[in-house]
Amino acid sequence: MNKANTKKKDHSTRVLLPAVIFVAAVTQIPFVVTIIFSFLKWNVKRPDLGIKFNGIKNFVDVLTAKNFYIVLKNTLIIIVVCLVLCTVLAILLGVLFNRKFPGGYFFRTLLVMPYFVMDSVVGIVWKTLLLNPSMGLNYYISKFFGFQPIDFFGKHSLATVVILIIWQWTPFFFLIIMAGLQNIPDDVIESAKIDGANGFRRLVSIDIPIIKKHIITAMTLGLINILKVFGLVYVTTQGGPGVSSANLPYLTYRTVFYDWSVGRAAAIAVVTVAITLFITQKFFKATNKDEE
Amino acid sequence: MKKAKIKYALLCLLAVVVALVWVFPIFYMIISSFKAEADVVVPGFIFSPTLENYQTVLSDTFFQYLGNSVMITIGTVIVTVLLAVPAAYALVFTPLKDPNNVYFWFVSTTFLPAIAVIIPVYLIFQRIGLVDNPLALIILYCGAGVPLMIWLVTNFFKEVPMEIVEAAQLDGCNRWQAFWQIMIPLVRNGIFSAALLVFIITWNEFFFAVTITYTESATLPVYMSKYMTQQGYFWGKMCATGTLICIIPIILGFFTQKALVKGLTSGSVKG
Repeated sequence: MNKANTKKKDHSTRVLLPAVIFVAAVTQIPFVVTIIFSFLKWNVKRPDLGIKFNGIKNFVDVLTAKNFYIVLKNTLIIIVVCLVLCTVLAILLGVLFNRKFPGGYFFRTLLVMPYFVMDSVVGIVWKTLLLNPSMGLNYYISKFFGFQPIDFFGKHSLATVVILIIWQWTPFFFLIIMAGLQNIPDDVIESAKIDGANGFRRLVSIDIPIIKKHIITAMTLGLINILKVFGLVYVTTQGGPGVSSANLPYLTYRTVFYDWSVGRAAAIAVVTVAITLFITQKFFKATNKDEE
Repeated sequence: MKKAKIKYALLCLLAVVVALVWVFPIFYMIISSFKAEADVVVPGFIFSPTLENYQTVLSDTFFQYLGNSVMITIGTVIVTVLLAVPAAYALVFTPLKDPNNVYFWFVSTTFLPAIAVIIPVYLIFQRIGLVDNPLALIILYCGAGVPLMIWLVTNFFKEVPMEIVEAAQLDGCNRWQAFWQIMIPLVRNGIFSAALLVFIITWNEFFFAVTITYTESATLPVYMSKYMTQQGYFWGKMCATGTLICIIPIILGFFTQKALVKGLTSGSVKG
């Protein structure tokens, strides 16, 4: 990575240092403080109780609560289902759009649009205009076909959150996978044609191996971002009914800003970060092993 | 041969249809924003368009949130560029001990979920009076923006051929001159697109905006999220607000797409 071959002393660290210090101060130090908080008994709204050391009691509380496991399961379902479906859909869309036709570029860019629309707008538009069971399109379509409107935000709240994430993130996967497909050299395609490999067989045995790194990049960035999903849940279901559609970030938010018990919230945050890092690391390992 | 041509045309048509269906929710929002409140609920594309919703929506409250969004986003982009571009330059072109480690450290901070930092940050900001202050959001957004910008811009710098750098040094340029007169023009487009991406992400950011502000410095995503509870069921006005808020990131998104892909893939894909 280092291109400089003339190793003379200069002020390069001075140029780099402000960024390092700033990022450490905003991200790393608060996280270390969060870890310290997770061992305290401290309710901000009850200063009379003071701040006490609580040992690992916060973690025990968090890990023995039933809700935690429901939310953990939700988080895993969201991650696995969204990653798989976003990838498959994006590859299919990529193959479909990897051809030249008038307006092709325009429609391709159009398809990427949902990625640039903010969570709160996506959430509200879907919640009202489209899926509202008494006034949205949901009602009119069900009436047309003569069945009961689907209860998207009650019974199927987790599935609904998953659908919205897939709608918003598939365009991002598509953007990166499309770039890979367009980079496939022409002679590879030609020789595939001569060999009679086309359609599905060409996709599986030629295209996908070539664009594997693009697929992994898309999945990695998707994983990092889908683990963080918060706005969509906040706006559409508020994690409910109960905690049926809450993920770990939303549960932490609720613990901090509803009951203000700093120690417990910090413990959930630490557990969430640990799980996030664990999943990310497992994913990295799996994809790297695949490459060798 | 003819059969193949028809098949090709049909697949193109399918692509167009799929694209239109996928973005339908956005179109439907834009169309509904021009409907009178009485017509919004009923689906259909035949109606007499009206600007009534927009006239109502463009209120003082909206402009207050818009002002916050603009100020916070532009502040974030400026500070991010000033911190990240020199850092990325130093990572690629100057003799550091472990540039790769520093680079991966920056990249890894983007994995950290926001909830990992919000508790101490909130308590500290509350103590020093920064809660509901635009500066608080700018600080937090730069914390997310700087690593992302370094990630992308480092990849752009790495594509500059070494010969150009050497030629500049032979010509007697010092590093400072080489940076301003040779590097920056070469990667200007990349920096610009990365800055646009930071702009879009900051403009859309929701978690910090909803936790660290109340009313004074809240941004447009928060305004939108409160819409249902505060304004009730005025869907036409809600759609007009949504359209106004999303127009900017969508337009910028069109321009930044190509560079976004290049910056995100070149490091890992070529690696």
